[in-house]
Amino acid sequence: MMQGAPPAKVTASIRRIFGADAEASALAVAADTVLRVARGDSLLGFASVRNVIGKDQPITFLVAVDPANRLKDVDVLIYREPYGGEVAYEAWRRQFRGKSAADSLRVGREIRAISGATISVHAVTEGVKRALADLTRWHETGAIR
Amino acid sequence: MTTSLALAGILVSAAVPLAAQQTQQDKESTTIGGYGEVHYTNPRGRNTPAEVNLRRFVIYLAHTFNDRLAFRSELELEDAKVEPPGAGGEVALEQAFLDYRVSDRVTLRTGLVLVPIGIINETHEPPTFNSVDRPAFDHDVIPTTWREIGVGIVGRLPVADGWNYRLYLLNGLRADGFSDAEGIREGRQEGREATFANPSLTGRIEWARPAGGLRVGGAFWYGGTTAGDTLLGTGTFDAPVTVLSADARYDRGPLSVRAVAATISVSDADTINALYGAAVGSRISGGYGEVAYNVLQFLAPQSSQRLNAFVRHERYRTTDTAALARRVTTLGLAYKPTWNTIFKGDYTLLRTEAGTGQAEVLRLGVGYQF
Repeated sequence: MMQGAPPAKVTASIRRIFGADAEASALAVAADTVLRVARGDSLLGFASVRNVIGKDQPITFLVAVDPANRLKDVDVLIYREPYGGEVAYEAWRRQFRGKSAADSLRVGREIRAISGATISVHAVTEGVKRALADLTRWHETGAIR
Repeated sequence: MTTSLALAGILVSAAVPLAAQQTQQDKESTTIGGYGEVHYTNPRGRNTPAEVNLRRFVIYLAHTFNDRLAFRSELELEDAKVEPPGAGGEVALEQAFLDYRVSDRVTLRTGLVLVPIGIINETHEPPTFNSVDRPAFDHDVIPTTWREIGVGIVGRLPVADGWNYRLYLLNGLRADGFSDAEGIREGRQEGREATFANPSLTGRIEWARPAGGLRVGGAFWYGGTTAGDTLLGTGTFDAPVTVLSADARYDRGPLSVRAVAATISVSDADTINALYGAAVGSRISGGYGEVAYNVLQFLAPQSSQRLNAFVRHERYRTTDTAALARRVTTLGLAYKPTWNTIFKGDYTLLRTEAGTGQAEVLRLGVGYQF
């Protein structure tokens, strides 16, 4: 099941992460869509919008990387469960900043656990790891540039 | 159209795949999950042989009808098999409710719901707690798994990040089930032809530290228990039971700490006891604290698995009798190859304030959730 985010939310997220004057375009790669973000002729990075399943509802998140394939930020665009949703808070998300695909991202070690939100924490951490690995591989092989 | 668009233009190019995903948001979807646990229980002593039991097998079934409306349920089989007249064995619905999401902060809920008191009642998947059995406190004081039928409102409070709430109007407890050893436990109706003579209110407010690591909560229950028995009272809130509870969970790196306390007041205990020949306490109270440490930190620093060494101490009383003032100490190890599977072993020492009923129990268990 794929569920998307309203385009306005994606726009706002890109703007927040890369700056208000960032320009973005969509690239199709491996049945996925990657957003290429640039300002004029200079590449600012890439972003990917994805879903992971929490307890039963998908969590829609965005992962943004810089041109050196370092993670710029993670945004939770839609959290659909009625309560909880602590994974969306900046205080927790910011732990991912600066990470690269080679870095270890383990809950309880590099990534803080959220008491009582085990499923969301593992789902989002796993999703971010996969997105970061994909974006890095696609960029290194020239599938996105 | 150029390949590089102004930011507003992202919608023009990116909107194609994103909109395609959007239309599918109206698609219905079904989620299946589950959890379960198998126990080995060996009380110390000559005439108390060990027992193995498929304690719980639960199927989680959820369906999303659209963006706002979802159904969630848990169907449980206890003790592997139901075949009268044998002891044990139960098939029961633990939850079955519909959620209607009004906004990001407000969801209306109706059906058979979990009473939001303590930690274990709402979060009881075996990999989420270290001991083989649930804490004894979560049997004799907070009667897990406590679920009743009604309506409510759940969501996030607008005050600041991390605040959640639930508030339900549910069917009440039945005083004719109360007992000295297990308090209000057998007064639960659990959605089975329940009398609605005494609608009760229950709720919870909790705060999770936005950066993670800490969650604290406070909860209450208030309601009459006459179940229509005019000898006990004719008012909706006659023979009331009040539950007040607080809980905390702290996780930081290898360390996990949790604590729960509760106090239950059974206002007309004397009348209830005279009427039903019971001996329920007018005050049922206590709590527990548990500390766990992931010792795999030292043995295998690179591993993402966990090996929790833990100790828990419970103190609670269900009446003012010293023989029912219990002290339960549990020591054990819990190995988690993944976050959602667990192998457990623990030793429990049960004592009472009266010095009677001392027992030692060794337990082994496995659990999973997905």
